[in-house]
Amino acid sequence: MWAEWAQQIFLGVIGLSAGVAVAGGLFAFIVELGVIADFADRTHTGDKILFYEDCTAIGGILGNVLYIFAAGMPVGNAGLAVFGIFAGIFTGCWAMALAEILNVFPVFMRRAKIVRYIAAFTISLAVGKGFGAGLFFFRGW
Amino acid sequence: MASEKGTLYIKGDRDVEVTKPDVTLGDLLSMECADRSVLPKVKSLKLLKFKQTGKQRCVVSILKIIERIHEVCPSLDIQNMGEQDIIVTYEDQKTPAFIWHLLKTVFVAAITFFGGAFSIMAFNNDVDVTTLFGQIYELVTGEVTDGFTILEITYSIGVTGGILIFFNHLGKKRFTVDPTPMEIQMRLYENDIQTTLIEDSERKGEEVDVGRVGAADISGSDRT
Repeated sequence: MWAEWAQQIFLGVIGLSAGVAVAGGLFAFIVELGVIADFADRTHTGDKILFYEDCTAIGGILGNVLYIFAAGMPVGNAGLAVFGIFAGIFTGCWAMALAEILNVFPVFMRRAKIVRYIAAFTISLAVGKGFGAGLFFFRGW
Repeated sequence: MASEKGTLYIKGDRDVEVTKPDVTLGDLLSMECADRSVLPKVKSLKLLKFKQTGKQRCVVSILKIIERIHEVCPSLDIQNMGEQDIIVTYEDQKTPAFIWHLLKTVFVAAITFFGGAFSIMAFNNDVDVTTLFGQIYELVTGEVTDGFTILEITYSIGVTGGILIFFNHLGKKRFTVDPTPMEIQMRLYENDIQTTLIEDSERKGEEVDVGRVGAADISGSDRT
C-alpha cells in the first residue's frame, strides 16, 4: 500500500519536473527565435504582443492535453484545414527563423560572393520547402 | 543674433515618426539651455522636408543637426546627450481602418495558437513521450501502463505551469513586474531593425550628414 503510494508520488514528481522543463525549453526556443515578434512587427500590431503570448500559451497547453490524452476533437475536415494552414505558416516561419539565427544565408552569400538576386533564392527556398513537404506527405514517408 | 552663449543640451531618440512633411529640430530632439530664449528659436529650425505623399524614411546624423544650430547660433556650445544617428520616418497620418487591424490581429493570433499547439505536439511526437512515459511507469511500478497514469496528468500540469511561468503572465495579470520574454524580444527586434537602417544608409551614403549636399530637400528612400 505505502510502496504503491510512494511510487505514485515519485512518478508525479517526474511528470511535473519533465513538464516544466519541456515547457521552458520549447517555448524559450519559440520566443528567442523571434518568430512571434516578427509577426507582430510585420503586421504592425506590436501593441497586441501580450495577447499573442496568451494565444501561444493556450495553444501549447491545449495541444499538449490533446496529444497526451489522445482526446477526440470532432472538428471535421474544415477544422483540420484551419489547423493545417496556420500550423504550416508557423512552422515555415519557424524553420526560416532558425536558419536566420544560425546565419546560414549571410555565410553562403558572402562565400559565394552573391550580392544580387537575393529575392530569387528566397523564392526558390520557399518553393523547395513546400515541394519537399508535399512530396513527403504524398509518398507517405 | 549671435549673442547666445552657454551650453545647449540636446537629446534625441533613435527612431522618430513625424506626421507633417516639414521637420523641425523640436520634432526630433528635446533640449535644455540655461538661456531660455534660445530654446524656441532653435526648436523651430527647419531640418528636413519630405515629399507630401507616402511613407518615407531617412537617417540624420547628429552632426548635421549641430551644424544647423550653429548656422543660427555660432557661439553656442552644444552637448549631445542622446543618439548619434536619428531615423526619421514620415507617414501620412491616415490611421488604417480598425477592422483591418482587427483582422491582422486575429490572423496572428490564429498562427500563434495553432503553432503553439502544433509545436508541443510535434515535440511530444518527436521524443515519443507516450512510449517514454510507459517505460518510466514500468520501471517504477513494474506494471504495464494503460496510457492514462499520474505521469501523464502531472506532465500536463507541469507543461501548463512551465509555460505560464515562462511567459510571466496570464491575460492582463502579471506574476512579476518584469517585462515578458516576448516584449523583450520585440524591443530587440526593433533595435536590430534600427541599427540595420542606420548602417545601411551610412554605407550607401544616403545619411543626411555634414559635408553632403541635398539636406534641404531630401527625397528619402521609400519605406517598404
